Amino acid sequence: MRVLVAAARAQFQMTVRNLGSDLFNLVTVPFFAVVFIAIVKQSGRSSLIAYAVMAPVMIALWQMAIFVAGELINRDRWGGLLEAVIATPAPFALVMVGRIGTICAFGLVGFAESWLVAQIVFGVTVPIPHPEVLLATLVCAAFACTGTALVFSALFSLRESARVFQNSISYPFYLLGGILVPVSYLPWWLQPASRVIFLSWTAELLRDSLRPAPLVAVPQRLAVVLLLGFTGLLVGWFLLHRIIDRLRHEGTIGLA
Amino acid sequence: MAAVEVERVTRVYKGRHGSPDVRALDGIDLAIEEGAVHGLLGPNGAGKTTLVKVLSTVLLPTSGTARILGHDVVRETDRVRRLIGIVFGGDRGLYFGLTGRQNLLYWAALYGVPGQLARRRAAELLERVGLQERANARVETYSRGMKQRLHLARGLIADARVLFLDEPTTGMDPIAGRDFRALVVELRKEGRTILLTTHDMAEAESVCVRVALIDHGRLLAVESPRTLATWLSRYERIDVEGVREPLLKRIRSLPGVGGVSASSDGGIRIDISADGTAAVVLKMLVEAGVTSIRTSMPSLEEVYVQLIGDRGLMI
Repeated sequence: MRVLVAAARAQFQMTVRNLGSDLFNLVTVPFFAVVFIAIVKQSGRSSLIAYAVMAPVMIALWQMAIFVAGELINRDRWGGLLEAVIATPAPFALVMVGRIGTICAFGLVGFAESWLVAQIVFGVTVPIPHPEVLLATLVCAAFACTGTALVFSALFSLRESARVFQNSISYPFYLLGGILVPVSYLPWWLQPASRVIFLSWTAELLRDSLRPAPLVAVPQRLAVVLLLGFTGLLVGWFLLHRIIDRLRHEGTIGLA
Repeated sequence: MAAVEVERVTRVYKGRHGSPDVRALDGIDLAIEEGAVHGLLGPNGAGKTTLVKVLSTVLLPTSGTARILGHDVVRETDRVRRLIGIVFGGDRGLYFGLTGRQNLLYWAALYGVPGQLARRRAAELLERVGLQERANARVETYSRGMKQRLHLARGLIADARVLFLDEPTTGMDPIAGRDFRALVVELRKEGRTILLTTHDMAEAESVCVRVALIDHGRLLAVESPRTLATWLSRYERIDVEGVREPLLKRIRSLPGVGGVSASSDGGIRIDISADGTAAVVLKMLVEAGVTSIRTSMPSLEEVYVQLIGDRGLMI
């Protein structure tokens, strides 16, 4: 536990001091929010405002996972830090979970940004009739984001070529995650794939939390988000263990 | 029991993109007694850092075994990691976005040092390496020498019994280097075992009890620093200008003169290969009225070449 807390605290301290680099994805949130909310408003579909407000949040969360958290190992590697971390008795995956979790938690700031854009730019107050669901979903989303980012972080450290897909890999996940276009609009054969992506469950829960209608099966749906996050953690943990052994064997832990 | 035992350790890096394999360590044998400061001396690319990486568990040996205080670095990785501290040279191993104190506390947590003890130890170490006044400044604002001192504190934060210092004085000014050497002596008095890699003979001589010479991944010799210094002085060389041929002929015929050749700057280089010969040659030059005389020590690489040439595989 001490390792987890220390890693999270160190990452928090580094991110706060390195806002421009680590939190650049949050800069895009207001712009996405303006575009999506403007489209919804101009088309007279105010019932879809929850989609417009929540889509930038999910994009920010995903981008934090892929572009910031996914790069942590490579950053340490190039800085000659990875060798030093590996040489400590601390489980490396646990260190990464602490650090990645902090970055994913920062991604949740996107909700405040998007909500404020609706309020300030468009004069639309987005009500939150189920704040407890919103809060619980955001926390579970950060956890699931951590598991997913751990997997990508391991994969990106394996081969430099894997990073080529860093940009393009996001779009299928946005689509399958139903972050703006409902999953039910997708071809039927694609829809099952979306159920194993935490974004789809999270996006639906977040949108539901902004609707006044009574919510159904919230604990079960949150449990699925947690389960997907936990699965990501297990896969990421296993992958990291294997990859670090491989790098120790190849002699490529340090690149600096 | 030796603190560090290395038996026939070989490390081969697979060649990439058609390039040949690189044998970074070639059957190294080494034993370091507990509480000793042992130097690992060799030119860049000799295999020093590779050996430290193997001993610190970040690199797997291709063959052979290595043990730290009796624990195998491959099979008992976790036990070994709890016993060792590493100090890297250069800019490696520190988070520049954190302060010096935050760095130490972070690394302490990774080594499992309890919070209160970590805070106390971090404060003591920052004072010990002279960084207490900059403890709360970000590392990116530190000079190179300050970073190097923080590296040392980082290596000591877990109170390791065995320390690997990999080119630790890189970037230090002479005064910081002197202070560092004094600190190494203190650490030895505390009973820690230290393996110090360096390419600086003077540094090895000032703190090490024994020094291993390594080059091309092979251990050439393990000697006392005094013996190595003798080797260096034995292979002294003299650069001169304006010497007439008859005198050069006399010098060339002296026993202990390894060779006389034209140097790259147009002068003459006289290579010495035996103790005491340099003094004889200098006397002859001065008596002949030669005024442009410069003596210099050979580099370690040149001594290695001489050693290999003189002793072949006996080393």
